[in-house]
Amino acid sequence: MATETAAAQVTRLDLRERRRSLIFYPLGLAVYALIIVALYPTFKDDSGLASLSEDNSTLMALFGASGSLTSPVGWVNANLYTNFVPLIILLVTIGYGASALAGQNENGILGLIATLPVSRAQLVVAKIAAMGTLAVPVSAATFVCVLVGRSFELPIGIGALIGVTVAIVLLGLVFGVLSLAVGAATGSRGSALGITAALATACYLISSLAPAITWVHQIRFVSPFWWATGAGQLGTGVGLGDFAALVGTILVLIAVAIAAARRMDIR
Amino acid sequence: MSAAIVAERLTRTFGAHRGVDDVSFTVREGEIFGFLGPNGAGKSTTIRLLLGLMRPDSGSITSLGFDPIGDDVALHRQVGYLPGELAWFANLSGGVILERFARARGLTDSTYRDELVARFEAELDRPVGQLSKGNRQKLGIVAAFMHRPRLLVLDEPTSGLDPLLQDSFARLMHESADAGATIFLSSHELDEVQRVVGRLAIIREGRIVVTDTIEGLRRRAPRRITLQFDRPTDPSAFATLDGVAVEHADDHEIALSVTGAMAPVLQCAAHHDVVDLTAPPTDLDSLFLSYYRDDDDGD
Repeated sequence: MATETAAAQVTRLDLRERRRSLIFYPLGLAVYALIIVALYPTFKDDSGLASLSEDNSTLMALFGASGSLTSPVGWVNANLYTNFVPLIILLVTIGYGASALAGQNENGILGLIATLPVSRAQLVVAKIAAMGTLAVPVSAATFVCVLVGRSFELPIGIGALIGVTVAIVLLGLVFGVLSLAVGAATGSRGSALGITAALATACYLISSLAPAITWVHQIRFVSPFWWATGAGQLGTGVGLGDFAALVGTILVLIAVAIAAARRMDIR
Repeated sequence: MSAAIVAERLTRTFGAHRGVDDVSFTVREGEIFGFLGPNGAGKSTTIRLLLGLMRPDSGSITSLGFDPIGDDVALHRQVGYLPGELAWFANLSGGVILERFARARGLTDSTYRDELVARFEAELDRPVGQLSKGNRQKLGIVAAFMHRPRLLVLDEPTSGLDPLLQDSFARLMHESADAGATIFLSSHELDEVQRVVGRLAIIREGRIVVTDTIEGLRRRAPRRITLQFDRPTDPSAFATLDGVAVEHADDHEIALSVTGAMAPVLQCAAHHDVVDLTAPPTDLDSLFLSYYRDDDDGD
C-alpha cells in the first residue's frame, strides 16, 4: 500500500510542478477551437474554398486536410484534429516524456525521487499517469468546444467525436511514452526530444500525405496519426482496430520504457 | 556489531571515465563512516551504487542486508539520502515538497519533521528555485532525516551551510547515530569528517587507498622532525634509516619525515651535535593531502 502511495506522490509532484501547463494549454486550445467553430458559418457556403479543397488534394494534404473543407467534418478536421490538436498534445506529452526521467536526471532531481520507496517500474507508471493527466484536459477542452459548435451549424457525430477525443490522447501517449523510453535509454533529454519529434514528424507526414501520394498511401498503416484521425475517423468513427493499434503500441512502449528505466544510471 | 554496508570489489566505469575500481569496504551498523576523497575520486559513484541508482560492472554490494538493485523499494524505505548536487523542483515550495516526500514514506507524525525545520530554520513557503544554496541544503537535510531512517547517506552535506549550522548538523548526526542509525558521510574536506566520524576510508582515482580510524591515521601519519646542528652535517646518515625521508637539508638544519619508529632517528641524531629538535604535533591534513597526491603509495 505504502508503495502505491509513494508512486502517487511522484505523479502529484510532477503535476504540481507543471500546474501552469495543466491550465494554460487546455485554455489556449479552447480559445482557438472556439474561434474555429464560430467562424464556420462564415465559410461553410464559400464555394471558392470548397473548390480549392476539392480540386487540389495535394495542397490540402500538406495542411493535413482531406476532403471538403466546407463540410462540418472537413472543417473541424482541417482546422483542429488533423494538425493543431495533435501538435499541442504532442508538445505536452513529448516535452514531459523527455524531462520526466532524462531531464530530471540531468538537473539532479531524479536521485531524490528514485530513492523514495518506489521501484523503477512504479516510477515509469507514475510518470505516465502524470503524462495522461496533462494530455486529457487538452483533448477534453477541444471536445467541449466542438460540442459548442453545434450552435454554429457544425453538427459532428457525438460518438465519433468521443472516439477521436480519446484517440488523440492515446496518440499523445504513444509519442510521450516513446520520448520517456528514449530518455531513459539515452539519459539525454535532448535526444529524447529530438528523436521523438523527428519520428512524430515523419508519422504526421505519412498520415497527411497518404491521400495524395500513392506510395505514401501504401505505408499509411505504420503511422499512429493514421490510427487516430488521419483516416477520417471524425466522420466514420474510431474503429476497434485503431484503438487496438494505439493501445497496443502504448503497452509495448511502456514495457520498453520500464526495461530502459531499470538499466538507467541515475545521478 | 553487524554490517550495514558491505562492498566487495566494486567496479564501475563510464566509458573512458574512471568511476570506481575494485572498491571494498564495510560499514558497521550504528557507526558514522567517513568517505573522503578529492572531487571526481569516485565518492558519488560509490554512493549511487550503494543506493541502487546505478549497477556495478562487477563486484557486489549489500546495504542494510538488501541488494540495492533487486530490493530497491525495501532498501529505500529505510534510507535517507542527501545528494551532493542537491536539486529540487524549482517551482514548488519546500513545504509542498516535504509534505509529498513524507506521504511517499508513509510518514503520518510530523513532529520530528517540524522540529528539524525549526532547528535548521528551513524556508518552507517560497519556491525552491528562489532559495540560496544553503537554504536548499536545509530542505535536503530535513528530507533525509525526517523519517528517522536506519541508514543515512550524505554526500557533502554541509556545503553551503554557515559554521553555526555545520555545528548543528554535526550534533544531528551524533544524535542519529546514538539512536542507532548508520551514517555514510562523504566529503572532500577533512574538517567536515574529522570531528564526527569513527572510521573513514580515503578514495583516490576510483580506488580506496586507506581505511582506518582517525586515531589509527594519526598514528601512521608521518611526523616531521627538524634538527639543528652547530656545524654542517651530512643528511645521508638519516636518509638510509627505515621509514625516514629527508625533506629539506642545509648546512645547519635537516628536516625529516618519519613514518617508522622514532628511536633509530634519535640514536643517529645523538652521534651528531644536535643543538635543537622540534617535532610539531601530527598534522592530519598533510597526511590526508599525501593520500590525495601521491602517485605510487598506498596500494
